[in-house]
Amino acid sequence: MTQPASAGPPSRDGASPRRADASRAGGLKASLDAARQELRAAIARGAGGRSTLEHYADRVDALIRQLFTDAGIYDGPLAIVALGGYGRRHLCLHSDIDLLLLFGSGIGPAEERFVHSFLNPLWDLGGVVVGHQVRDIEDFLELERDNPEFLLALLDARPVAGARSVFERFSGLFHQPETHAFILRSLIALIDDRHAQFNGTLYQLEPDVKDAPGALRDLTATRTIALLTDPLLLRRGPADAARFDDAEDFLLRVRSTLHLECGRNQNVLSHELQERTAEILGYPGAEPRQRVEKLMSDYFRHARIVSRSLEWARRTAPVPVGPNLGLSRDGVRFIDPIQAARNASSWLGAFQAALDAGNEVSEEALSCIQQHVDRYRADDFFADANDRAALLRFLTPRPGLYARLSEMHDCGLLGRVFPEFQAISWRVVRDFYHKYTVDEHTLLTIRNLERLITTDAGDRLRFKSILSDLHEPELLVLALLFHDVGKWRDDDHALESERMAEHVLDRLHVSDEQREVVLFLIRHHLRMSMAAFRRDTEDPEIVKQFASLVGTEERLKMLCLMTLVDVEAVSPETLTPWKAELLWRLYVDTYNHLTQRYGDERIERNEAGLNELLANRPDDVTPGEITTFLEGLPQRYLHVFPLEAIYRHIWLARDIKPDEVHLSLERKGAVWSLTVATLDKPFLFSNICGVLSSFGMNILRGHAFTNPNGLVLDAFEFTDDERFLELNRDAHNQLLRLMQDVVSGRADVTARLRGREQSILQARSAQRFAPVVHTDNKASGRYTILDIVAGNALGLLYRISRVISQHGCDVDLVLIATEGEKAIDVFHITKTGAKLTEAEQVALTSDLQRALEGSV
Amino acid sequence: MKLLKSIVRPNKVDEVKDALAKLNIAGMTVTEVRGHGKQKGHTAIYRGKEYNVSLLPKMEIEVVVPDSIADDAIKAIVQAARTGEIGDGRVFVLPVAESYRIRTGEMES
Repeated sequence: MTQPASAGPPSRDGASPRRADASRAGGLKASLDAARQELRAAIARGAGGRSTLEHYADRVDALIRQLFTDAGIYDGPLAIVALGGYGRRHLCLHSDIDLLLLFGSGIGPAEERFVHSFLNPLWDLGGVVVGHQVRDIEDFLELERDNPEFLLALLDARPVAGARSVFERFSGLFHQPETHAFILRSLIALIDDRHAQFNGTLYQLEPDVKDAPGALRDLTATRTIALLTDPLLLRRGPADAARFDDAEDFLLRVRSTLHLECGRNQNVLSHELQERTAEILGYPGAEPRQRVEKLMSDYFRHARIVSRSLEWARRTAPVPVGPNLGLSRDGVRFIDPIQAARNASSWLGAFQAALDAGNEVSEEALSCIQQHVDRYRADDFFADANDRAALLRFLTPRPGLYARLSEMHDCGLLGRVFPEFQAISWRVVRDFYHKYTVDEHTLLTIRNLERLITTDAGDRLRFKSILSDLHEPELLVLALLFHDVGKWRDDDHALESERMAEHVLDRLHVSDEQREVVLFLIRHHLRMSMAAFRRDTEDPEIVKQFASLVGTEERLKMLCLMTLVDVEAVSPETLTPWKAELLWRLYVDTYNHLTQRYGDERIERNEAGLNELLANRPDDVTPGEITTFLEGLPQRYLHVFPLEAIYRHIWLARDIKPDEVHLSLERKGAVWSLTVATLDKPFLFSNICGVLSSFGMNILRGHAFTNPNGLVLDAFEFTDDERFLELNRDAHNQLLRLMQDVVSGRADVTARLRGREQSILQARSAQRFAPVVHTDNKASGRYTILDIVAGNALGLLYRISRVISQHGCDVDLVLIATEGEKAIDVFHITKTGAKLTEAEQVALTSDLQRALEGSV
Repeated sequence: MKLLKSIVRPNKVDEVKDALAKLNIAGMTVTEVRGHGKQKGHTAIYRGKEYNVSLLPKMEIEVVVPDSIADDAIKAIVQAARTGEIGDGRVFVLPVAESYRIRTGEMES
């Protein structure tokens, strides 16, 4: 809860103050008056500088503490905090006393009562202006972006009364790198705006000693920049600390004089006030003009020091880019190297920050790591799940990754984080092909991969597009990093690399699926080059064997890229356009085999995957149930789903009756997985997709399988951009009910969907694609293959499959994929159990083209 | 002397090399080439889109052999590189007028 600063005393209710209260108030007023009188006297002697103001602030502190005590007992956690100039203890005669009343456990009636009983007497004292903010500590969980001045004042926060623990909790919440970065940006903008009001020059004949360039605000800003970026910054600045302090003391003395002379918060050193100020500050000279000249010459001297220091700080201060990290001209460095040396798990942050900023890690930070890295073991770098997730995120291929990994390697960090990698450090393997040490060859594979992201080279664009398709490209980088670590030995290195990578994956706690992908890539990293360059890839049997090895398009894509960048990293001449062409051709043939011919390869009795399923089956699933369920399904099904998922599918399909729909819904991060089991009927696939789209779900990928007994198993992955499932408790049931109603014909999804399709939210501004519709009767022995590539849109699958059903075709198998704004769907269809005739294909293609073009 | 210039499938290079080695023909030049003969490439389809693969990757193997073993060498190449399918390649036979060893300047017969 937040209460805005009040402009005047809060209203009071209740009985008139008792005599004791009156007496206490009188005492407080007397002590405030005395403090102010003492301050006036000091200013009049020309001594209204820093130590005097600090002394005055201390006396106000005592007063606040007394008021806090007098306000009565408040049981909850609370801190009274001084802000801004008062927080810095530079409290001038007519400056506001800015206070923050910080509650630790919410603000209710009791807290409001306390606020009244604390502030009312303070207001009643008179003679001072009090600015107050009332906040609950929870307010600082989120950054208050619309009030940068308040955030700046909070940087000077100083506890005056109440619980220290509340203040410390606030400090913990407030002092975050993102907050510091935001304040710094805001401060720079505020400085620019303020300077613009003074035409950007400090040489004002009547300067404002608070706001003008080179005046007090600039002085504070300079210190703030150092505080937010590098506390030691000013030590390297153009002015030594003593000169900077002198300037501050001078400016405060002038400001104090102005307050005294004007009787208010007046900060402009006007011509009239210059004479009096010079006199109070004791400048010598027979004539007032001589005294004024000396005063103003001192002013400009000090203001120039402040101004130059500020400009220097702005130029050289590191930009905060993470905890204890700043970005300077020489790269990302540790603000406090001593703290960094003690916290090894924070080091990766420096490399991630450099990657994000498109910069490097500074030599200073690298040598700090190099000096201390031997003190740590591999586990110290993955203290918790966040560290492990950060490492995987770091390995996402992007420009700069190779350079950062090389820095990590050079300073000894990479080998310490991954002792497995250290085994190939400077390792020389003599053969006819390799030109680099094994570690550099490995890192070059990653450089080649990141170069694909930005390449414009014609023959690489096709591989670039594969890379942009990958769902978890960081797994490919992980596999590349360890694919040759087994070369520390001289025998079969792929197996040794796989064995070593297992230890890495154990430490990283990756999921079983991720682990399997990485180990697969390492184990088989030479297989694709072997097949592409040494086998007759025009032989369909070779392609079939290779497709069976990779199993899925995702693995194929990863292995293809791995092969490309691995060959390229052997030497500059190794990857010829000729080899790239062979590799691409094998990729395309295998991709087509996987997506178009898988319907012909059905699960057989002695299938390895089937035996594994039978061997590991849960008690309540019988062997007969497994074989019946799998009968007639393509082998691909076993490649795509892990064992647990298949058992779940069997449970889902158990005892299913016509018109029944069984659903299983689970969430994996931002993506939802839905499995639908039901019995086949016309328009079924179209209706299921329609229901999902009618709830606004964005279908990313999926499979639809139909077995010869008419059991349909559809598995979708989608994002719920409107957060329907998250925000509605009954969402699962609503989805199930509508699915059942639509499948059984009790409800029509078309009308529900029409409204959504016309919604303005569905109007996409992204690049559109001319839809591609292609039919093929040769690829598969059983099915007509229908390839569709189109701009992704809500209800796209519904529209496509509806047209297919309207043509009397059965949708037997479907592969659904999306890549950015592109939807890539492959349908395996038949009509009355046979492939479509030429004429039927033409008619279907033409209607689909029309439907898709209409949707663009 | 004859220059035998063979265009073969990429996966057949090792077999051709082995076959020539059996005839004690050791020196050869192997080049990655792209081209087409009667095969004239073919149409590949990726994600529903057709693209023409007109130039196919092949390997070119060049060997210079004495006239006396030229026929055996040609036979060995044909046998090693043959699959029986379209696209197996060609062997061109050219006469070589003279040959010099660069290191010594010596003429070879």
